Amino acid sequence: MILLAYVLCAAIVIACIAFCHTHRQMNAAALGFGAACAAITGYILIFVQVPVGTLIVGNGYFFIDHFGLFEVAVATAIFLLAAVYARGYVENLIISHELETGSLKLFYGAWCLLELVIVLAFYSDNLALFWIFAEMTTIISAMLVAILSAKENIDAALKYIFVASVSMLIAFAGLIFLFEIARSTTGTGSLNWTVLIQQAPAFPPGMAIAAFALIFVGFAAKSGIFPFHTWLPEAHAKAPSAVSAVLSGVLLNVGIYGIIRVFAIVHRTTAVATASLLVLFFGVCTIGIAAISMLPEKNLKKMIAFSSIENMGICLVGLAVATPLALFWVLFHVMAHAFTKASLFFSAGILHRQYRSHLSADAPDEIRDVFRFQPLAAWGIIIGGLAIIGMPPFAVFFSKFFILLSLGSLSLWVLVLVLALLFVAAAALGYFVIRSFSRVTPEGEPLDLVPYQTPLAMKAPIVILLAAVLLLAFLFPMGGTAYFDRIVAELMFI
Amino acid sequence: MTDPAFFDGVIKILFVCVLITAAYIITTKNLISLVRVYSLQSLVLVAIATALFWREGAAVLAGIAVVTLVTKVIVIPYFIAAVQEKIRIKRDIEFHYLSPTSSLFISIALMLVIYIALSNVLAGTPAKGSLFFFGAVIGLSLVLMGMMVTFSRKKAITKVLGYLSMENGVLLFGLFATELPFIIEFLIVIDLIILVILTTILTIGIDSTLEEYHNRLHRFYLWEEQEEAP
Repeated sequence: MILLAYVLCAAIVIACIAFCHTHRQMNAAALGFGAACAAITGYILIFVQVPVGTLIVGNGYFFIDHFGLFEVAVATAIFLLAAVYARGYVENLIISHELETGSLKLFYGAWCLLELVIVLAFYSDNLALFWIFAEMTTIISAMLVAILSAKENIDAALKYIFVASVSMLIAFAGLIFLFEIARSTTGTGSLNWTVLIQQAPAFPPGMAIAAFALIFVGFAAKSGIFPFHTWLPEAHAKAPSAVSAVLSGVLLNVGIYGIIRVFAIVHRTTAVATASLLVLFFGVCTIGIAAISMLPEKNLKKMIAFSSIENMGICLVGLAVATPLALFWVLFHVMAHAFTKASLFFSAGILHRQYRSHLSADAPDEIRDVFRFQPLAAWGIIIGGLAIIGMPPFAVFFSKFFILLSLGSLSLWVLVLVLALLFVAAAALGYFVIRSFSRVTPEGEPLDLVPYQTPLAMKAPIVILLAAVLLLAFLFPMGGTAYFDRIVAELMFI
Repeated sequence: MTDPAFFDGVIKILFVCVLITAAYIITTKNLISLVRVYSLQSLVLVAIATALFWREGAAVLAGIAVVTLVTKVIVIPYFIAAVQEKIRIKRDIEFHYLSPTSSLFISIALMLVIYIALSNVLAGTPAKGSLFFFGAVIGLSLVLMGMMVTFSRKKAITKVLGYLSMENGVLLFGLFATELPFIIEFLIVIDLIILVILTTILTIGIDSTLEEYHNRLHRFYLWEEQEEAP
């Protein structure tokens, strides 16, 4: 019944947005919705005995377990901060005529709807239902990408829709396969994850691997895995930065979440070795393609988008190891990456406002005198960049370290390869930042730039997220470890 | 009810019809007839669903037949045809990588591959040799053929039709795994309608300058809401 609270809040807020007139009111409504979702999630986290079984009488379409709840908690936190950030960011978009005032209602309406759909997706027990919600997130977020009045955005959105939706259809064929497997082994077909994981040991390995491969194609496209990553840099770089943060921090997790769920089912069959190999191969390829693409990149937001692809690859590599320890750190990595990446996109958004090219979104950024104009955003990029490449003591360091450690026990050669690729990616990011941030106008020359007055609403989320990334590693053992252990147990890895 | 063998025969003939429409979608350059053929293909699916309903008597199949008839035979083709009228694209002659003949050859190869792969996967299970097997082969082939259209054509509106044809393939595949809850089939159709509306609106944007786009968008807003009602 608690899910109705989310739906009710969304309905009220979207109705409010329909009657709002100014941007401030609409943003306040979206902010309120973010806060309400976070509050409900916090309430479930603290007071409700998880896992909760059937929430709707009958077939059991929804459920809440520790894994879903964890993803929802990460998602709502990022949505809340992104809504705060959007207050300043979207206002500037309107002033510079990049966003029509008429589109504002659509923007905030889609924003709230996206948050609701994501929450419902993470609470879906039925995999087909999860598929539908995941597919809806594609459409709604593509709308958010296309909303800026620029032709490149429409291009990026269409590419996003076609690559993601086409692959998701293949995933649906995989789900039908899974249904048939369940029917042929037990007599009654089901797509409920809780049922499937129980029946999994009886599944024939050949059909299980076929179903997994088809489903993997779909969710891999959602999370930007090679060779379906082509839409990601375009869409993430051209979306408004508040949306980019959500795309990178939350939507990629939807894909990884689906892969982990289905992998957990295959993990209990005898086909697990083949599935692991498949996942490992695509994981390493993804890291490789991201690292190589980062080298010549000159656009900050695209750089950060490629770094997202790389991190999704790391999640896959960790998953392929398929030990409880590796899974534990994959979950940690999902969380750490989401927070770090959101803060990076927020910082990049400020720099984008300051230095954006008026010609094209594809043009390289002309960043100079960055410490004079936007010191906070510059430090945000530097610290966030250090965090994302895995410098201690930030949270990503721990997850990368332990995932690589587990990988070492599987194959030393793959470990060396992945390490080299990670080094290339880190070097590319570092080189880009040093080169563009050290560009200074010589003393005496006139400055033709007008400093962009960054509102507090855009600065605060960056500071909060960076503090969270730093503290996460130290505060995590208090309760976090036990919680993650429970997720690993529920996914039946132990 | 009546002789199941008779219905098996009917369904097999309908499979052939599906393949003919798919081949036409792959090769044609005329956009208007493309939409008509898509509509026809959906109609064949409706016929298959009805035949299966008579054979097995599952109410879900009747529901699917009705929903498909309303949305994919009538509403979506009508909507796309209306959009085509507005943006005045009649022909899509830009084949990206593949000429029509080579794409036909590739699709034949694809079907063979799927046939062999599925016979291996399903070997030893009762599903092999049944109608489910044929449904799976034809359905998956249709999915891959649609995918080929989506990625080998340039115009976004042709891509949309390729996507829709893929979705028909998934539906065909799903028809033979009948116990899927109806609500899920229904939600998929809703999802499809939203996708079609969104992509076609964006398509208008792709093929015009920005000012024109905004003017057109305003014209479409009213119109779009009427479409969403069914």
